[in-house]
Amino acid sequence: MTPAVSIPAHEPEQPFLLVRGLKKHFGGVKALDGVDFTLSQGEVHALVGENGAGKSTLIKVLTGVYGYDSGMIEFDGAPFSPATPNDAKQAGVQVVHQEFNLLDHLSVAENISIEAMPRSRLGLLDRAEMNRRARSAVESIGLTDLDVRAPVSSLGIAHRQLIEIARALQSKSRLLILDEPTATLTERETRRLFEIVRRIKADGVTVVFVSHHLEEVFEISDRVTVFRNGITITTENIPDTTPEGVVRHMVGRAVESGAAASLPKSKIGEVALRADGLRVQASPDTAPISFELRYGEILGIAGLVGSGRTEILRSLFGVDPVVEGRIARDGREVRFKGPKDAIHNGIGFVTEDRKDEGLILEMPIAANISLVNLRDVARRGLINFRQERQQARDGGKRLALKYGATSDPAASLSGGNQQKVVLAKWLARNPRVLMLDEPTRGVDVGAKFEIYAILKRLVSEGVAMLIVSSEMPELMTLCDRIMVLSKNEVQGTLDRDAFSEETILRMAYGQEARAQEAGQ
Amino acid sequence: MTETTQTAEATRPNRFSLRSILNNAGIGLALLAIILFFSIFTEHFLTANNITNILTQITINLILAVGMTFVILIGGIDLSVGSVMAFAAVVAGKAITMPGMGDAELIILAIVAGMLAGVVCGLFNGVVSAYWALPSFIITLGMLNIARGAALHISDAQTIYSFPFAFEEFGSAMVYGIPIVFLVALALVVVAWFILNFTVFGRLIYGIGNNEEAVRLAGHPVFWYKVGAFTICGLCAGIAAIVYMARLNIASPIAGIAFELNAIAAVIIGGTSLSGGRGSVIGTLLGAFIIGVLANGLILIGLNDFMRQMITGVVIIIAVILDYYRAKYASK
Repeated sequence: MTPAVSIPAHEPEQPFLLVRGLKKHFGGVKALDGVDFTLSQGEVHALVGENGAGKSTLIKVLTGVYGYDSGMIEFDGAPFSPATPNDAKQAGVQVVHQEFNLLDHLSVAENISIEAMPRSRLGLLDRAEMNRRARSAVESIGLTDLDVRAPVSSLGIAHRQLIEIARALQSKSRLLILDEPTATLTERETRRLFEIVRRIKADGVTVVFVSHHLEEVFEISDRVTVFRNGITITTENIPDTTPEGVVRHMVGRAVESGAAASLPKSKIGEVALRADGLRVQASPDTAPISFELRYGEILGIAGLVGSGRTEILRSLFGVDPVVEGRIARDGREVRFKGPKDAIHNGIGFVTEDRKDEGLILEMPIAANISLVNLRDVARRGLINFRQERQQARDGGKRLALKYGATSDPAASLSGGNQQKVVLAKWLARNPRVLMLDEPTRGVDVGAKFEIYAILKRLVSEGVAMLIVSSEMPELMTLCDRIMVLSKNEVQGTLDRDAFSEETILRMAYGQEARAQEAGQ
Repeated sequence: MTETTQTAEATRPNRFSLRSILNNAGIGLALLAIILFFSIFTEHFLTANNITNILTQITINLILAVGMTFVILIGGIDLSVGSVMAFAAVVAGKAITMPGMGDAELIILAIVAGMLAGVVCGLFNGVVSAYWALPSFIITLGMLNIARGAALHISDAQTIYSFPFAFEEFGSAMVYGIPIVFLVALALVVVAWFILNFTVFGRLIYGIGNNEEAVRLAGHPVFWYKVGAFTICGLCAGIAAIVYMARLNIASPIAGIAFELNAIAAVIIGGTSLSGGRGSVIGTLLGAFIIGVLANGLILIGLNDFMRQMITGVVIIIAVILDYYRAKYASK
């Protein structure tokens, strides 16, 4: 006897998929904290929510990648708990991931058949049969002009996506999960994808559609479920709701802005950094980006992951080439050939990824802090270890770093203290412009506010600051202005009094026509 | 008092942790155990003559391994050192047998020419692999062939001999039973140790091996540091060539075949990680000793050369497995 489940009246009597009270913890992190979710047969159901809301975890549970701690799942009337991705596939649950799982140097046909290669009687690969199956698979999604013998590496992004879908569909597929399928597609390719979704829906396949783009959600879906912090907020019929309503559910409660108000307003000075008509390597075809950053000011850059925020910082710092446009530092045009030039011009860059870009984890704290300041602690190429240690102690004291000895490896510190080491490394150079990418990611709440205080103090000392963050409250607390990006283009820049999480999110989701450029 | 202890401790640079010292200590203990074993089970191992032998035998491998340490620390590998050594020897051999010059000039010319030949090859390895971000494995495999071919071509595949007497003398000279050439190798170890531990260059060699991107974003010219590591490796191959000539009194274009493998083995047995960023040249010194002592002692206890080779192979594999556990331990 399964536990009694009360099904709300407006939901179908016999759900195709039923998820009740699903919980999944990773250590202390509640990725799913009681998720309820139903699917009716043959519908297109959108899943939306901010990053970390639990969408991906739910998909991974449904496709057998993760197990779950508690709750229940019923698939087509029977209990369902796939132990492996293969179990899920056998049951007819297929997923197309955002990042591709294709083998680049193999042909389209080989990729489509990779899970079950047809064999001839001798046990050899039956190439003709493989190509035939592949052809029928790609034709079934409307790709009639594709040579299935071509290597995947010869195809564009959109076609690769479609091949993933063809692969998912050629096995018996009853539930197809599309995880942000349009993230890398152009408008026209998206149209084509939607035609295919409509076609497979007509064939009776149920589709779960995860997207950050609400207009797409409203175009293709029958129902939408909103997640927030691992909990189902609501499920609504698309005709009964609006994009604004969905955004409101995603954001949840009004955000307290009290912390922000208590911080002293710093004196805004001259323009420290100006970008004019900037086009970066990652997205050379989008509208150019221009902005000004003044001393004593924090300019935030908001936008979804992949909206081109980090790429701007990397180009400003001379890591990635600038395709077009001008950068001026203190009113003087500059062209950075590499990070060294940027550093010499008083710019610091606290990168997003501590482990990959920010820290040398196995090396001592002191060596990490001196990494950009070796000039200060070395004479004629010889390191003065006493000075280096002193620099680390000074930097540590300034940021209230908690550490054992300056010779301990950086890896021995907590996330928050590691981030402070990265900060100390740059602050030891007294940068006039400091760029920070996700400055508090993976940092606990206490350290987070300490870092906010440090940043605020720096700005009051006249430093110009550019902050990229995915956390709206963080940007709203720290910034004087916020520039919002969507798909590599600036949607608008908001002044402090115009800050609202809802507005920023709407712009980030491309829901708002370009807001008026805030006056300088 | 506390302050002085802390200072003393922290002055030991690149002292990533107590563990890295234990690592070297571990290798040292292994070496001592091997020495003890052979001392007990053979009659001739612990004699002055045999010790001189061992020191002579490990000299060239030690010099090559010192250069190799730099390359492996940045996460690269140099397969060309054996060939480059032969090439440098032939170049130096041509120089030292030129007619119409005094012995002193000839010797200086040969030393400069040999080291320069090594430097050019190392520079090439470094520039090509770093500029195009290509695996140094392949580039130096190419250089392995280029240098060997060049050595054979320049020498017409003939061995060059009859060097100035003073040069040959240097190759067999001893101080208290210690070959001068071994002291040259030891001096190189000290210089390399100093560079790796006390200079900005050395610091960034470790940095690049650990996290190249972080070093790049800190504004350092990663390209030139990588080129520097390969150039040092080439220079060491050049020095090894001179020592080899002085010791054997010939310059053969087929010298040094497969020497790169012993050099890499010494570095790896010495605890330097093949993925870069972790290790020390002191470890390399111990690694070269382990290989040399095993080679010598196993023959003395009556194993033939084939079995010696098998056992050396086993030791290399054990060293890499130990490194796996070190890395696992370090990442916790």
